[in-house]
Parts: sequence; structure tokens; C-alpha cells
Amino acid sequence: MAKKLRGNFFFLTANNLRTGQVVYYTKTGWSSEIKKALKIKRDEIELYQSIGERFEKKCVIISPFFVELNDSGKIRTTRDLIRLTGITFKL
Amino acid sequence: MYKYSKFDKQIIKNRTIQFEEQVERRLKGRLTEDEFKPLRLMNGLYLQLHAYMLRVAIPYGELSHKQLSKLADISDKYDKGYGHFTTRQNIQFNWPKLTDVPKILSELASVEMHAIQTSGNCIRNISSDHLAGISKEEIEDPRPWCEIIRKWSTFHPEFSFLPRKFKIAVTGCKKDRAAIMVHDIGLRLKKKGREIGFEVYVGGGQGRSPFIGKKINNFLSKKFLLNYLEAILKTYNQLGRRDNIYKARIKILVNELGEKKFKDLVNENFKKLSKKNMLIMNDQIKKNFSFFKLPMKKSLSSKIPKINDYEYKKWISQNIVKHKVNGYSAVLISLKSYGKPPGDASSHQMRELAKISKKYSFGEIRVTHEQNLVLPHIKNARLYNLWLELKKIGLSTANINLLTDTICCPGLDYCALATARSIPISQKISEHFKKFSKQIEIGKIKIKISGCINACGHHHVGNIGILGLDKNGEESYQITLGGSADENATIGQIVGPSFSENNLIGALEKILGTYLKKRYSKNEDFLATFRRIGIDEFKKELYDNNTEK
Repeated sequence: MAKKLRGNFFFLTANNLRTGQVVYYTKTGWSSEIKKALKIKRDEIELYQSIGERFEKKCVIISPFFVELNDSGKIRTTRDLIRLTGITFKL
Repeated sequence: MYKYSKFDKQIIKNRTIQFEEQVERRLKGRLTEDEFKPLRLMNGLYLQLHAYMLRVAIPYGELSHKQLSKLADISDKYDKGYGHFTTRQNIQFNWPKLTDVPKILSELASVEMHAIQTSGNCIRNISSDHLAGISKEEIEDPRPWCEIIRKWSTFHPEFSFLPRKFKIAVTGCKKDRAAIMVHDIGLRLKKKGREIGFEVYVGGGQGRSPFIGKKINNFLSKKFLLNYLEAILKTYNQLGRRDNIYKARIKILVNELGEKKFKDLVNENFKKLSKKNMLIMNDQIKKNFSFFKLPMKKSLSSKIPKINDYEYKKWISQNIVKHKVNGYSAVLISLKSYGKPPGDASSHQMRELAKISKKYSFGEIRVTHEQNLVLPHIKNARLYNLWLELKKIGLSTANINLLTDTICCPGLDYCALATARSIPISQKISEHFKKFSKQIEIGKIKIKISGCINACGHHHVGNIGILGLDKNGEESYQITLGGSADENATIGQIVGPSFSENNLIGALEKILGTYLKKRYSKNEDFLATFRRIGIDEFKKELYDNNTEK
């Protein structure tokens, strides 16, 4: 989950097991609101990795991973941005 | 079309109950995700970028009006009111909840549908020619053979855990509309004297290592079909690589062993299997064919109405195919409305089309591997009225086989594997080139777009192929030229360095400009011109004086 990560800050994300909805780890648990997402430092990765695994075992979420943030705290990759904002075209 | 037997109904019902229990166990934590994943995949359920995705099988692309109507209901009730028809004649729902999937499977079962083996390392949905049974030049209808293969391959215990997924396509014509040469096994019905049998191709495929299938049997007697398929699958199952996912498809095995060695091994297995009681007897063949009889009783002298309406005339010129029964036509319904995602249909469109198919086409609908739909049996005299009804629901776009009839995978907007977006690219192309007179000037051309090297958008076999790449976090698009998925299947050649999204349309303009300049006449289509002049002419025009790569 934490392999080859770039940058110094991250969000922990996953999908809700029951609904598949994209969720982010916050101070109070999992939420679909990115605003509440907890900014994780590089040296905290192991800790939050185990938190992700614990919630996965508890059948709350599925496939946890870290979203890379750039120096200004914004999501770095197009993939993670699309995952946050939804499809980029009109249906 | 095929009707489920009591046995078929029972196994689908059992599978639905079984999956419901598996989901329950997963939600209660009695199955881990590692344990559950192969089970959900065998029922067509993926986890994609935003949500789960359910892929529903449409065997050889054939649907009844009841089934299409049910798909519309499912998309409203459990999804976001639309579905995506795929390049393997299936449909995908992009937003189902895991907790709803057992209910969806149960609803599908009520109309003789399922999602079994639409994923996983098993034999997938059998695909075929969308004009099967209605094409004049056809040797024989391939659908009964698809059905025989479907039955044989469903839950086949030996082939449920193959090294990788396995795709089979069957055509009954010399003209290949089913892309059989880029399938793991491609079957073509052919005549030898008075007997009809199969030409067998193996090891075709796209993805990161594209190959055209190799012919390993010039004429296989019908009764041995299953023995021979079993011999191929057995050889693959024994020798296919399981240590490297990128080298696990049969195409790699065939290529590494060589055509002759692979053929010899298949023949050895075939001999061993000859004692196995899998011969297909004439009465079984007859029974299967009885499901696929043409619905009309006789030919008609019905003529296509001549109406002075430009839009209607365009549609008649592009979207109508001659039926083998006089007085009827097959109508191709483009799911490539300008600016819309290729292959998508709203629940309203699906529901209305189901009604239209009942009214005009004996309740039958087909899905093409080029992500369009077909109403297979329309009385010529009713074409104008049909067009009016299709127009009302936004399904009368006249662009079949033209530039805006692009194939496109879901790409990075949906897919967890994709490296770049593909649907917005298709939409840009569609908007830019939508002028009908321009499309007619360019003529027949296939543009195919994939959002990653897995090539679900078939870019390798596009006359112009577009592959989305990720270059240090930026999307870029590589162009291939000269690919083709027909009876003269060819893998496209990379034209050169890739283009940014903003410069892609300009690059396409240049490529098309080269074609228009170099073609002999209007009758020489893009592919023919490419094959005559080669890639260098295109490269020269594209990259000379071009600053942006």
C-alpha cells in the first residue's frame, strides 16, 4: 500500500465496502468529504497503513491506499483527482 | 433466440442464491477480501475507480426486448440511469452497491440473463457477428455454435482457473465483423465440398503484446468442435505461464512455442480426447438451430420509403444493411451521438428501444463489438417511421463506419487500470469532426481509443488507434496507424512520439489531410491508402515542422 510514494503528505483513502463509495480517513473515521480528510506525514505512513488494514478487516472499507499530495497540499495525480471529483465529461 | 431450459434456469437461480450468501459472508467478515475477490469476479463484479462495476453477459450480443427493458429498470433502480455497452458485446453498470448486486442478479435471472464468467481467468462471453443469421454471404449462422460453446464453457471445472482470461469469437462469414483474429480462439465457418466446418485461429489478442491469431486448423469437422476446443484449452492450461501475468495469455504461449509446435501439442491432446464422449450429434445441432430461426415467414416486396428529408437520407445511406430476406433491412443504431460517451445508453433510451424493437423488429436487438446496437429485422416500408421514433430518443445518428463512430474504453474516468482518459478524447473528436459532409469526404474509417495498454478500446486494430499514456503524471496520446480487425486483420504501427490532449486533434487533422492528399480516388479508403503508401508519408507530414510532441 505504501510502496513508491512520492511527496511528504498524503491522504488515506479507500472504498466503502457496502456501497463502493470513495471515502477518506478523517479524525472521526471515514468520510466521503475530502475537506475532512486527515493530512498524513511521511513518517506516519506505517501507522495509518495499519489503521487502513484494521478497518478493512472490520469490513468497513476495501482497498485502502495513500493519495499523494504536492507541496501545496493538493492532490498530485489525475487519477486521484478524478476519483475525488468524478467523471470529467458530460453524460 | 435461445430460450433457457429448466436446467439453465436452475443453475442461474442456484448461482444467484450462492452469491447472495457469499456477499452476506463477506459483509459479516467471514470471508476476507482476498477470499471474496475471485468469487465476485466470477460474477462479473469489479471494484473500479469510484465504485463497484457489474458486467452483465449478453451472449453473442443478442438481447430480447424484455431483457433490454430489464437492463433499463436495473440501471434506474440500482445504478445512475445508464449502461455502457462494451467492445465484447456486454453491458456494464458503473455504480452498483455491493449490497444490491444479489438483487440485480436475481432480476437478471428473471429474464434469462446473468453476469457469470464476465470476469476472472475463465472462458468469457462468446462473441459473434452482429449480422449473424441475416447476412446474405454467410456460410451458416454462427449463433447456434456460440450457444453450444457457451454451454460447454459455463462452469467447466477444468477451465475455471486458467492462467488468464480466455476469449472466443465465432463468425459465419468470410467478411469478419467479429474480430476473430484478435481473440484467443477465433472460429470461422467454412465450406469444404458440401461439408461445413470450422477454420480455427489461436493466439490472437491485443493488450501489451498484440498478436494476430495463427491458423492451426484449416477445416475442423463440426462434430469435433468441442473435442478440439478442449484440446486447445488443455494445452494452454498445462503450459500457459502462471508466474507472470503479462505473459500468461495463450498468445504468448503460441508465440513462444511457435505455430507448428503448438499445433502438434493440440493434435496430441485432440487424439487423447477422441475417446471422450463430446461429439456433437446431428440432433443436438438441429435442436440448437431451432432457437435461431428467422422470425419472418416470407420475403416481401417492401421498399425503402423515399422521403425528402436530408437527415433521413443520411441515416438511410449510413445505418441500413441489406437483409438476406427480401423486403427487410437490418438497422444499425449508433451509440455515438455527437459529444456523447461511445457505447452509453440511458435507461430511457433502452426502455424506448425495447418497445421499438417489439413494434418493428420481432423484439430482437443485437449489440455490436463496435459499441452500437442493431435492430435486425425491419420491414423496408417501415424504415421512415422507425427513423422518426429513433430520432425522438436521440438514437438516429447517421455515422456508422464514419470517423465519429469511434470505439472507446471507459478509460481513466472509470477504470482502475487506465493511465489516461479516453471518453473525453472521443467526445472531442466527435465534436470536431461532426460535419457530415466532412465525414463523407473522409469515408470509411475506424478510430479506436484505449485508456491504457490493456487495449479494451481495441486501439491496436484501429485504422487510427489512440492509446492514452501517463507521462510523469501528464496524459499523452500515442497514435498508431494501419490497424484492422477484419478478415485481413493487422496490428497498427506506432507513428511516432505521442501528443498532448490539446494537440491531438491537430495531429488527426494532419493524418487525415495526408490521406486525402495521397488517396487515388474517393473509392480508396484510409486503410487501403495506408497500405499502399506506408507509414513514412504520414510521419513526414505529421512531424516535419511540428514543434509539439
